[in-house]
Amino acid sequence: MDHHRIRNFSVIAHIDHGKSTLADRFLELTGALRPREMEAQVLDSMDLERERGITIKAHAVRLSYTADDGQSYVLNLIDTPGHVDFSYEVARSLAACEGALLLVDASQGVEAQTVANAYLAVDHDLEIIPVINKIDLPGAQPEETAQEVEELVGLDPALSIRASAKDGTGVREVLEAVVARVPPPRGAPEAPLKALIFDSWYDAYRGVVVLIRVVDGAIRPGMRVRLMAQGQECEIEQVGVFSPKPVDTDTLGVGEVGFVIAGIKRVQDARIGDTLTEAARPTAAALPGFRELKPMVFAGLYPVEGHRYPELRDALDKLRLNDAAFVFEPETSGALGFGFRCGFLGLLHMEIVQERLEREFDMDLVTTAPGVLYRVTTTDGEVAEIDNPAKLPPPGSIERVEEPVIDAVILAPADCVGAILKLCQEKRGVQKNLEYHGSHRVVITYELPFNEVVLDFYDRLKTVSRGYASLDYHVSKYWESPLVRLDLLVNAEPVDALSVIVHRDMAYMRGRALAARMRKLIPRQMFEVAIQAAVGTRIIARETVRPLRKNVLAKCYGGDITRKRKLLEKQKEGKRRMKRVGQVEIPQEAFLAVLRLGNEPG
Amino acid sequence: MEHRDVPLGLYLHVPFCTSICNYCNFNRGLMDAPLKAAYVRALAGEVRSAGDGAPADTVYFGGGTPSLLEADEVAVLLAACREAFDLAPGAEVTLEANPETVDAAALRGWMDAGVTRISLGVQSLLDEELARLGRRHSAARAKEAVGLARAAGCDVSADLMLWLPAQSRADCAASIGALLDLGPAHVSFYLLELYPNAPLREEMARAGWSLAPDDDAAAMYLETLERTDAAGYEQYEISNVARPGKRCRHNLKYWQDGAWLGFGCGAHSTRAGCRWRNVAETGRYVDMVGRGLPPVAERRRLTHEEQLGDALFTGLRLVDGIDLEQVRQRYGVDVMARHGAALARFLEGGWLVLQAGRLRLTRRGMLLANEVMGTFV
Repeated sequence: MDHHRIRNFSVIAHIDHGKSTLADRFLELTGALRPREMEAQVLDSMDLERERGITIKAHAVRLSYTADDGQSYVLNLIDTPGHVDFSYEVARSLAACEGALLLVDASQGVEAQTVANAYLAVDHDLEIIPVINKIDLPGAQPEETAQEVEELVGLDPALSIRASAKDGTGVREVLEAVVARVPPPRGAPEAPLKALIFDSWYDAYRGVVVLIRVVDGAIRPGMRVRLMAQGQECEIEQVGVFSPKPVDTDTLGVGEVGFVIAGIKRVQDARIGDTLTEAARPTAAALPGFRELKPMVFAGLYPVEGHRYPELRDALDKLRLNDAAFVFEPETSGALGFGFRCGFLGLLHMEIVQERLEREFDMDLVTTAPGVLYRVTTTDGEVAEIDNPAKLPPPGSIERVEEPVIDAVILAPADCVGAILKLCQEKRGVQKNLEYHGSHRVVITYELPFNEVVLDFYDRLKTVSRGYASLDYHVSKYWESPLVRLDLLVNAEPVDALSVIVHRDMAYMRGRALAARMRKLIPRQMFEVAIQAAVGTRIIARETVRPLRKNVLAKCYGGDITRKRKLLEKQKEGKRRMKRVGQVEIPQEAFLAVLRLGNEPG
Repeated sequence: MEHRDVPLGLYLHVPFCTSICNYCNFNRGLMDAPLKAAYVRALAGEVRSAGDGAPADTVYFGGGTPSLLEADEVAVLLAACREAFDLAPGAEVTLEANPETVDAAALRGWMDAGVTRISLGVQSLLDEELARLGRRHSAARAKEAVGLARAAGCDVSADLMLWLPAQSRADCAASIGALLDLGPAHVSFYLLELYPNAPLREEMARAGWSLAPDDDAAAMYLETLERTDAAGYEQYEISNVARPGKRCRHNLKYWQDGAWLGFGCGAHSTRAGCRWRNVAETGRYVDMVGRGLPPVAERRRLTHEEQLGDALFTGLRLVDGIDLEQVRQRYGVDVMARHGAALARFLEGGWLVLQAGRLRLTRRGMLLANEVMGTFV
């Protein structure tokens, strides 16, 4: 295949800005799928992705396009996930391209993640084609949006294309621009194989499917290859492309994008960003940019019914088959019993895992409040990473605690600046920059402790900006902080699953809010229940649940017995689903209380 | 497993009412004279065809409003009971009555037909409360009915409802006081239980009547018992008190793991480890009996565990509680060996007492009976 006729590009877009619809139009226009084969939005193949409008895993589709110059081209559309948790995957997908469409909703304007990803594309020297989408909407403001793209990303508004993926306007112009403006891939066909792994997933029938972009050389079935970061070798069984259905090919050469199957059993063995080379004739240097994915957010996952623990373990094993970034290990909680401490890339990643467990594996889960990875230096000089508040050593033996800090970029309407700065200050942030773009957009850059963001920052940001602010971040460093563990006690017994690590100055306020919340969530019992919040041995808040006074059926005659028995059984079942700490029965929702504290008014 | 020597209780259901109360969830419908005549015939027919001559010592006419029955209808039905069962000479025969249906002539008629005990739906002795409940009688009429029934030589039981919408503790005490002044032999008092779609719920919302907090319900319950104690009544079940010797023998069968047969639409029966219920709809019931079919909607054999569980949770409703030795003999189960661990916290907390081979709730424990009874299901 002549690589001068290849164009590799991806689409950078915020959720709901129309990426999937645009991809569908490309498929139609290039005849990749006949209309009756089109299931709306083919690219987002998981139900969950479609429902949430998020692309979780990247895919690549090969399109054959006959351009206005009469020549036919191969266009590889490489899809990228659209959320901050997956920025590493985005970066690797962009590294497989020479160009990117910057797709912006003309009625919404540019969002922070779009800017961040556009900068990533600039960093990778990609040719960027701005596409102003949804111009058919009554609220569309294409001029202003193009202007904004110029202000925020520095792209000439004259180069932007007006389109409506929905009604097809401008779609052909976009493909023409891809052909004309995106440079063809460069590479040495005779050089040793060098290919970038930019995605992989587990397929029950074929094992791990690996998506690659060939940089130099060629790859074909029967070739023995090496995964350079892992050092592992395997033999290529199958090579092909998605168009969008999988089609086997004899070879993939310079600039081509496609899949290989090589008897790899676990996605962990085909890491995104790794370089594939021929074992017998390896390339001199791996492609740059490979990084081990490190989970940053941790939470405990427990089955509501303790006896389903083995089922939960099996479900987690299965999810991990397809998710190299997800980690878990068994843990035990006094309150919740046997469960797992799970590590995620971020909050969205956590939500996705939770939802898949509930939906695909029918698990009822209790999830503890998510936390971050703290670095604790003890007085004897040992350094430990703490992913669970329960593991924090006693205050006396702590030399210092460091917490992860993010660089946050917030894009917001100018009239919300005051409220956002106040929020960031409250969250212990350090302001780095504040820039006005035009008269009504502002870019705020802050360093923020990650645990504050994990707690409730994003919800609060949306509230104070009436939904208009957007956020992009990455963990940039650790800093030392006076952090303490806030414990919750019921009738003097600590509920380990409710402990959180907080800044010393916030412990009092949060302890009071938590105790008040728990008072509402813990039902009245046969005896008084004392709820206390404590830091170390110091009690900082107390609430009381008064004892239950009446739970009796007034009448129970001959015809009532069956019905009353059912009622008693139901009540018993309800209690069985509660978690018991000492004598106190605590409903599942209470364990989420820590999470939702931030949503309380005031 | 059957306790053959224990005589049966016979329950006869009368599903008719002159109006439908806004809190009531029993099987009932509006009065319809031709249907009632057909129903009484069917009821007598069902009793006769079910009869096996087994000993019985109580009959209970429940409803609905059984006092809508004429004396001769009661007589026909009791005759059927005597024909079909070995009804003991001193049998307790109770008829539930609404105060507005009671006068001296009616009482005389029912008693001549064999009724020995009248259970009056007094509910409250405050006119305002009666109006809120949509009852057709006044407090004065209720008092009159109790007086007439006592004068006729009947054992009188009065039903009272506590924790009514907009009722204060003082209101509750006033009703109790007024009732005890009338001197009935037996009193049942029930904390109001609003079933999910009760029209009363809507009326409460519309009129802004609210229920007092359940702390008040507990107080009303305990205060009521203090009053009945002081007036010489003995509490024998969670919601029932009686003068000595005046406990309701029929109802005791439900809590003493007894056997009873229910006749009429929607009636339930339990006997020899089986439980069944009749079809609920009146017309259908009449039709099935007319065609010689057993009017049963559902019949089940109870497992050993169900029988045991029912015996324990219903037995706990009695002030005398559960006779553990009797349970051991009947079911071969040592209750304390099996449930001791689960019951320990109730015993320690003073809600439950184990004394002289009996397990019983304390008065405070009765208010939380469901918490304890859950152990047995």
